[in-house]
Amino acid sequence: MSVVAEPAPVPVNALFAGDFITHLVVVMSDDTIDAAAAKVAALVVGSRVAVRDKPYVLRFEGVPVAGSRTVAEAGIVPLSEVFVSYAE
Amino acid sequence: MRLSREAWHDITRDTDWTPAYVTDAELFPEALSGAGKVPREKWHGWREDYRISYEEYVSVQREKEDAAYSVKAALQRSSVFDSLDEGWKSSAKAHHGATTLIEYLAVPVELKMSRFGLTGGWRNMAVLGALDEMRHAQLNLFFAHEFLAKDPQYDWAHKAYHTNEWAAIAGRALFDGFMASPSAVDVAIQLPFTFETGFTNLQFVALASDALGSGDINFANMISSIQTDEARHAQQGGPTLELLMEHDPERAQWLIDKTFWQSARLFAILTGPSMDYYTPLASREQSYKEFMQEWIVDQFVSSLDDYGLKKPWYWDEFMASLDTAHHALHLGVWFYRPTVWWKPNGGMSKDERAWLNEKYPDFDRQFGAIWDQIIANINAGNVGATLPQTLPWLCNLCQLPIGSATAPNCAAYPVQSYKLVHDGYPYYFCSDPCRQIWYRDRERLAGHQTVVERMLGGQIQPPDVPGLLAWMGITPETAGDDAHGLRWAADYATAPRPELALATV
Repeated sequence: MSVVAEPAPVPVNALFAGDFITHLVVVMSDDTIDAAAAKVAALVVGSRVAVRDKPYVLRFEGVPVAGSRTVAEAGIVPLSEVFVSYAE
Repeated sequence: MRLSREAWHDITRDTDWTPAYVTDAELFPEALSGAGKVPREKWHGWREDYRISYEEYVSVQREKEDAAYSVKAALQRSSVFDSLDEGWKSSAKAHHGATTLIEYLAVPVELKMSRFGLTGGWRNMAVLGALDEMRHAQLNLFFAHEFLAKDPQYDWAHKAYHTNEWAAIAGRALFDGFMASPSAVDVAIQLPFTFETGFTNLQFVALASDALGSGDINFANMISSIQTDEARHAQQGGPTLELLMEHDPERAQWLIDKTFWQSARLFAILTGPSMDYYTPLASREQSYKEFMQEWIVDQFVSSLDDYGLKKPWYWDEFMASLDTAHHALHLGVWFYRPTVWWKPNGGMSKDERAWLNEKYPDFDRQFGAIWDQIIANINAGNVGATLPQTLPWLCNLCQLPIGSATAPNCAAYPVQSYKLVHDGYPYYFCSDPCRQIWYRDRERLAGHQTVVERMLGGQIQPPDVPGLLAWMGITPETAGDDAHGLRWAADYATAPRPELALATV
């Protein structure tokens, strides 16, 4: 029998490319990476970084993470550092 | 017959005694005195240049007090205050809140040197330093509180350090670190030599000049009077440094290096925006970078040379930060304006921006895109998009936002977190110097929490921006807003602007 962990908040230190400071963003452990990237972008895009018609890429430990994986699967834990940018 | 000054001066200043009931080590414990590797007898050669007696001190101070308060009394009957620019008033309010209780903190710090200083002349000098600092706290409070009826933000001259406001926490972290906790010797290197001689003594001259240029004669009068005291009691640093350089130069270099970097971070958030954004354009004497290069960098490096010290190891980062750090911190303070006790001037009208680009040729390349987005939101009536929704991540040493030591588009020092895992816990820093200083002082600093960590630990309820403002002691009547009601953005409007709302979060 497998045990499924309850979704839990995961506060991360997040930078969106082009912004001038990093922020506290609380994602959930069962958020997909796409959803987590959108939460980071929501605090910055249209506020301090111009809106562009491009998807986001989330990098963790310098490596882009597939958008369909969850935060927990990617190994992102509380107080991790993530970097989000537009996909080029 | 009255003795000549030369006949009694050295005796009254330097008289010391040999303890009979306790040992010298008990009288001057290492933790509080901090003699370190300097042999005990060497401290008796400690000499500073002012060599003022108590009688002379009282006489000079009485004249200064008369002058400061008579100018104030005369101006009380004028309407000068009502005509001052709101941006400049914010320079004064930020200064009052950030310094008044630090002047008060400096009283026991000077008293620590007056008790645990290692020779009579030093201890006498520090007594006068303590009296100076008490006077400065009183001047700041009295001058600021005159305006309480007109502007409740002036209450923060007294209130700031009694709250959890984020800038006050950053100030406490800095000043407790290099004033309250160290030994008398370390204090003498860090406060009188590095902070006062290196920074405030010179900054007060520039601040007085900007105040006069902005028409604030009262503030210029106050700050000039304070500066003359600083110039005297700051002399405690030099002779202490001479002894350390002779017997323990490595310790001297470390104390100066770490204090200079941390002081520069504070200056970047207080003096930088004040000179380049809050002071009205027509009244600006120098850019912050020009001021720092002329008064801090050139003079400080010259002082280092005089004592045989090296430039700090992070010198290239420091020099690069003069083009970036205070612009990033201004942008942060302005964006988080409801969280401060003053009204930061956005300062991005076309004329002000042209001035910034003239003084800082990379300004638009580094920060222009962010300001353009903010300006577009203001002119579209979307002021809500120019206000904070969450906390910036804060540096575990200086407590200022990660990124605010660098710039978004700076090839050499872009925005990034400088991470350090210690005992399994991830710490984040705004810069490599902050990380290195923290690591060397980690035993003292490991338990210090940033506002972010306090929020994650449940101390701030509810854990959102309104909860944060309440936790910080910010009330609606004292929350900051743009100094000029965002009118500077109208330069860029291509259509009539909607009615703009004030900052509410």
